Amino acid sequence: MSVIAADPPSPSDAALRLSAVHKNYGRIRALDGLDLVVPRGSVFGLVGPNGAGKTTTFSIACGWLRADRGEVDLLDGGAFDPARHRGRVTALPQDSALGRDMTVVDQLTYLGRLQGLDRRAIRGEVARILDLVQLTDRAGDRVRTLSHGMLRRVGIGQAFLGDPELVLLDEPTNGLDPRQAHSIREFVAAQRGTRTIVISSHNLHEIETVCDHVALIDRGRVVMAGPISVVTGRDGEIRIMLADGPVPLAEMRAALPGERAEWDEATRTLTLRFQEKPGRAAEDVTGVALRALLDAGARISSVARGQSLERRYLDLPAAAVPPSGAEVGAHPA
Amino acid sequence: MSLAMFGPTPARDIGLVAGFELREMLRSRRAIAVLALYLLAAAFFAYLFVSVLERVQEAAKNPAAFLINARGEAPGRPGARRGGPVFAPAPPGKPSQGILTSRGSPFNALIFSQVAEPEARDFLEKQSPVVLFFTLTSFIFVPLLIMITAAETVAQEHQSRGARFVAMRTGRSEFALGKTLGQGALLGVVTLMSGVTGLAIAAWKLSDFSWGTGLESLVIFWPRVAAYCLPFLGVAAFCSMNSASAMSARVFSLLGLTALWLAHHAAELYADSAFAPFFNTLDFLTPYAHQDDLWRASWSAVGPQMLLLAGLALGYVCVGLLFYRRRDL
Repeated sequence: MSVIAADPPSPSDAALRLSAVHKNYGRIRALDGLDLVVPRGSVFGLVGPNGAGKTTTFSIACGWLRADRGEVDLLDGGAFDPARHRGRVTALPQDSALGRDMTVVDQLTYLGRLQGLDRRAIRGEVARILDLVQLTDRAGDRVRTLSHGMLRRVGIGQAFLGDPELVLLDEPTNGLDPRQAHSIREFVAAQRGTRTIVISSHNLHEIETVCDHVALIDRGRVVMAGPISVVTGRDGEIRIMLADGPVPLAEMRAALPGERAEWDEATRTLTLRFQEKPGRAAEDVTGVALRALLDAGARISSVARGQSLERRYLDLPAAAVPPSGAEVGAHPA
Repeated sequence: MSLAMFGPTPARDIGLVAGFELREMLRSRRAIAVLALYLLAAAFFAYLFVSVLERVQEAAKNPAAFLINARGEAPGRPGARRGGPVFAPAPPGKPSQGILTSRGSPFNALIFSQVAEPEARDFLEKQSPVVLFFTLTSFIFVPLLIMITAAETVAQEHQSRGARFVAMRTGRSEFALGKTLGQGALLGVVTLMSGVTGLAIAAWKLSDFSWGTGLESLVIFWPRVAAYCLPFLGVAAFCSMNSASAMSARVFSLLGLTALWLAHHAAELYADSAFAPFFNTLDFLTPYAHQDDLWRASWSAVGPQMLLLAGLALGYVCVGLLFYRRRDL
């Protein structure tokens, strides 16, 4: 695994930790020694292509599937156990159906009561959740009358019943229209710091927008993990595209001694990599670099901090993807 | 005092799951379908039986013209045997009770093949024949209906993966036991209503029918029917917990029922062989081995058998849970 974060969280700082987890479905290898650490209080994105092992990872973390080997620890309480984690860990499973003939309110009340909420608390809590997922007007309708997007929202709602410390959401915005997806993303982003949220998705833009930490999974292993800003180079990399004209590389290097600057003639992009220091943030470095370039007569087309998560993922060297002797692929976990 | 003060307990969770299961069955009309199935079966068999009783009434009014022999055939009809049994005197005003008191009637033979003690015979002769018939047919057919209707309960949740929502909030044992309890409650209601249906048909067709005697007999025999059904429900739960889909659970449970039946009959078949102890032990673990004792008069004899049947049911469920706790959802 390529862990970009300098210091992985210590056990007590981790809300979820999977160590050397293996899972096979017959000959299909779904997880191949996966290591993952989710810091407490983070909004953590789990990204990867179809069949990478995201849903299997979720299912093992939630105790729905048993790992063949390896260790799982949630909130320092060991592998998932309803007796220890009830109400503290919740999840939105992928492709799981709620009781079709019950009303939305009945379904949420049932799950909330099972979670430990008492009769008096549950009514207000269900009303809060329905408001959160904008389904108050459909509260009394049977689940089977809801659209796919509405069902997804009920699923998201049930994951936020009570006050869970760790919420695992598998493809939460899958099937939602853009407005609903945006609303859910905003809600999730607003939870940062109050609880730990793990989101599985192959929508890299969504992960980049919502999450502060990310792990890229491929073929059942984590190939890159760390804070989003570090993975994308947002706090340590500036890319400046120059229009036709002078390329004053020497002047810029003189203004920022000790930092690495690379010029790509084909794209006319100047990439500056630096270390943030106390009293010198990325914004300060950007200012110094731009001033040096402009003073030397450069014509600047655009400035960007770091690379998009998508670019970062696509640029991963083939070597980062571990070779595998066994068949690796998707399984309906 | 609120339960919430003690936090969630297994009993509370089992109750919540069972309650939700019942409400879901009512809302989805599955409960109504199950009820309809049981009531139709009960009505059909009760009607056939009551028709026989009607003929008994006729025979009581005019014994010389209308006698029924051991094969249920009237004299003079093709195939009628000479010298067939004549109904023994029935209690005054209750000619249909003669079907029990007449030693030669097929129903008498069927019922009394279950019991040997004179005390039990006397006890049964005082019961409503309609309720005895309900008990007999329930012993035969309800296990089959249980396998068809109750085996899908947990398996369906696996198929839809709805179990994953619940698995985050309570243990698998509580979930499976709650589901089974919900099915058991439904089964209790539908078997009781089946018995009442039989009585209602008897009241409609028989002039000497007494609701008092009928209900009294039902109160005596319905708990026995319910207890007898419990182990079959346990087998259905076992199969449901360990199947991936509703259909495979049904097939698995029907195979389970067949296995129980074979185990029971193997014990009879090999009673004199060297393997008799093995087969007898196997037979003891089937509900079939305990059926005969449920016809006895004394609760002191029947009660322990009912507890034993409940224990068997719990045993089947617990063995199912051993596998279920380790399987992927």
